[in-house]
Amino acid sequence: MLQTHNLSKSYDGKVALHPLNLNIQPGEIFCLLGANGAGKTTTINLFLNFIQPSSGSATIGGLDVTQKPLESKKLLAYIPEQVMLYKNLTGLENLKYFTSLTGAEHSAGQLAGFLEEAGLARPDADQRVGAYSKGMRQKVGIAIAIAKKARALLLDEPTSGLDPKASNEFSAVLKKLSASGSAILMATHDLFRAKETGTRVGIMKHGHLVASYATAELGHADLERIYLEHMQD
Amino acid sequence: MTLLIARKELTEMVRDGRFRVSGAIVFTLLAGALLLGWQNYREVNAQHTAAQQASRAQWLNQGKKNPHSAAHYGVYAFKPKMPLSLVDHGTDSYTGVAVWLEAHKQNEFKYRPAQDATAVQRFGELTGATVLQLLVPLLIVLLSFNAFSGERELGTLRQLLSLGVSQSQLATGKALGVAASLGLLLVPAALIGSLAITAASGQGDIMASLPRVGWMALSYLLYFGAFVGVSLAVSAWAPSSRAALIILLGFWMVNGLIAPRAASDLAKVLKPSPSAFDFDQQMQLALAKGSDGHEAGARAKMLETELLKKYKVDKAEALPVNMLGVRLQDSENHGNEIFDQSYAALWDTFSQQNRVHQLVALVAPGLAIRSLSMGFAGTDFPQHTHFATAAEEYRRTIQRTMNDELTYQAPNTGAPYMANNDLWQKVSPFQYRAPSATWVAGQQAPSLGIVGVWFAGSALMAAWAARRVQVY
Repeated sequence: MLQTHNLSKSYDGKVALHPLNLNIQPGEIFCLLGANGAGKTTTINLFLNFIQPSSGSATIGGLDVTQKPLESKKLLAYIPEQVMLYKNLTGLENLKYFTSLTGAEHSAGQLAGFLEEAGLARPDADQRVGAYSKGMRQKVGIAIAIAKKARALLLDEPTSGLDPKASNEFSAVLKKLSASGSAILMATHDLFRAKETGTRVGIMKHGHLVASYATAELGHADLERIYLEHMQD
Repeated sequence: MTLLIARKELTEMVRDGRFRVSGAIVFTLLAGALLLGWQNYREVNAQHTAAQQASRAQWLNQGKKNPHSAAHYGVYAFKPKMPLSLVDHGTDSYTGVAVWLEAHKQNEFKYRPAQDATAVQRFGELTGATVLQLLVPLLIVLLSFNAFSGERELGTLRQLLSLGVSQSQLATGKALGVAASLGLLLVPAALIGSLAITAASGQGDIMASLPRVGWMALSYLLYFGAFVGVSLAVSAWAPSSRAALIILLGFWMVNGLIAPRAASDLAKVLKPSPSAFDFDQQMQLALAKGSDGHEAGARAKMLETELLKKYKVDKAEALPVNMLGVRLQDSENHGNEIFDQSYAALWDTFSQQNRVHQLVALVAPGLAIRSLSMGFAGTDFPQHTHFATAAEEYRRTIQRTMNDELTYQAPNTGAPYMANNDLWQKVSPFQYRAPSATWVAGQQAPSLGIVGVWFAGSALMAAWAARRVQVY
């Protein structure tokens, strides 16, 4: 579902991402680990077609994101570190707006159901988002993905700054989405969350994908040790 | 999709306290200006009508008099105010509202409100046009400066673009959103204006006013559209909302406040016009010298010689026409030539100055909309000259009628001749037919073209900038 073929990106001769080959299948949660500047967000931005690749290609559901930008995005949901919403609209109105833009039509009841599924129940959903916490905004972001029935999710540090309870709830929703057949690529610093949520983890360093493991093969301590070893090189 | 974006933009703006406050201020000022304009129009029009009737009554009731004395007695012609002048007073405050039509002279217009204005009043008066030309564009800037840059800074631009919304759909939706927000203010204001214009127009006049209303509305819509386009383009292109706001406020200031002054000064430097005193002096000199190089006395002598020869008589008393009447009409004809030449030269200078304004309007469309607004309101200089020409024609008709009376009815013996009311009745009341909206549109074609080009250009610019908008 989410694939890259020798995808790379350079800025003025400085390589941000060395040729990367990824293949994330439906039902898979691939967690990209790495320090700041390792190339995680660059990979996500390339999938989103926010930046142009220097070489190679990224495809979503077989659609090249540079050739079919609008079509490929229809398969996709994106949840950034901070889901930013329109503060003068309520959570429900924000959800309605964003899902309407995808061409989907949902009743108010259905939309409220998506928010509830994401963990945001009424009356919070009817409050203007100006007063929302980060966790509540993230839940609206997940609700957008649920409503859109996205076949692929790109998550960029989505649990950064969330309290443990909110992080747990977030992970649970991701697992549900994955179980329903979505392919998920999540960039994160959170080793624990990657091990708990992901089906595979990849470690990035200086724009290279230096290692990739199935999380079932590793314990928490193993992952931490491997990660730190790679970071020390 | 664009309608969804537009509806969201409208909802957000309506809920935004800044929009509600600034919108309320603009609406109040616009509605207030239109109502004040209507009141002023009603009062001034009533005064003009009363004065015109009084002047006509004085003419008809002047009693027995020599026709040439009646020609000097004269009448006033009052420039009628058009209903749309309640929106835009234009040049009326400076060109004057009435002219005294008398023998031998094409007088300057009198009663210029600007002459009586205080320094503060001269700085600027509140009219519908002021609000539409200055405050509504400012409101557009305030509504749309962060249309793209704000989304980018907030992070919602990434969210939107990740959903598969194209930049051009976003730009169109935002433009429609701003337009809908403006509509919330302008549609009620336009209704108030329409009521005021309907109330100001006599029966039948409203139909005559409709084409002008249509043209004026179209002009302002194009102008506002251009401002929306420029604002969206700058918002998409500028690195931050602050930068976008500074650039747009700079453009607004140059366009609305600096360019009009600069254009006037530039026009005066490039195409200098004489002062009223110099113009009058030059005309007096030309009248004294004569258009054919002969002074008045010499020309009268030549005319008498010609007539004696024509009628084959040896003295003026033997002529079948009154020599004084012939001389007076000849003097009028000679004066008319001088007036036509002098005013044509003066108006040509003004027209050249206007072309300088149009050139400056290529970079500052505010000058073009000023011209269009005054034009369709019937208060611009070309329509002043249209009226002045009609009034002058009427003056010449009066003079010809009086001089013909003297020429063909007065005895040639030198005995006094007195005409009565029958002669005064022969002069029809002055009736002025204002030019049509199509005539005005023809006159205003360059300004219409400039505003149209700005509208289309800004839309293309906004689309181009939106396609290149960066999410960072």
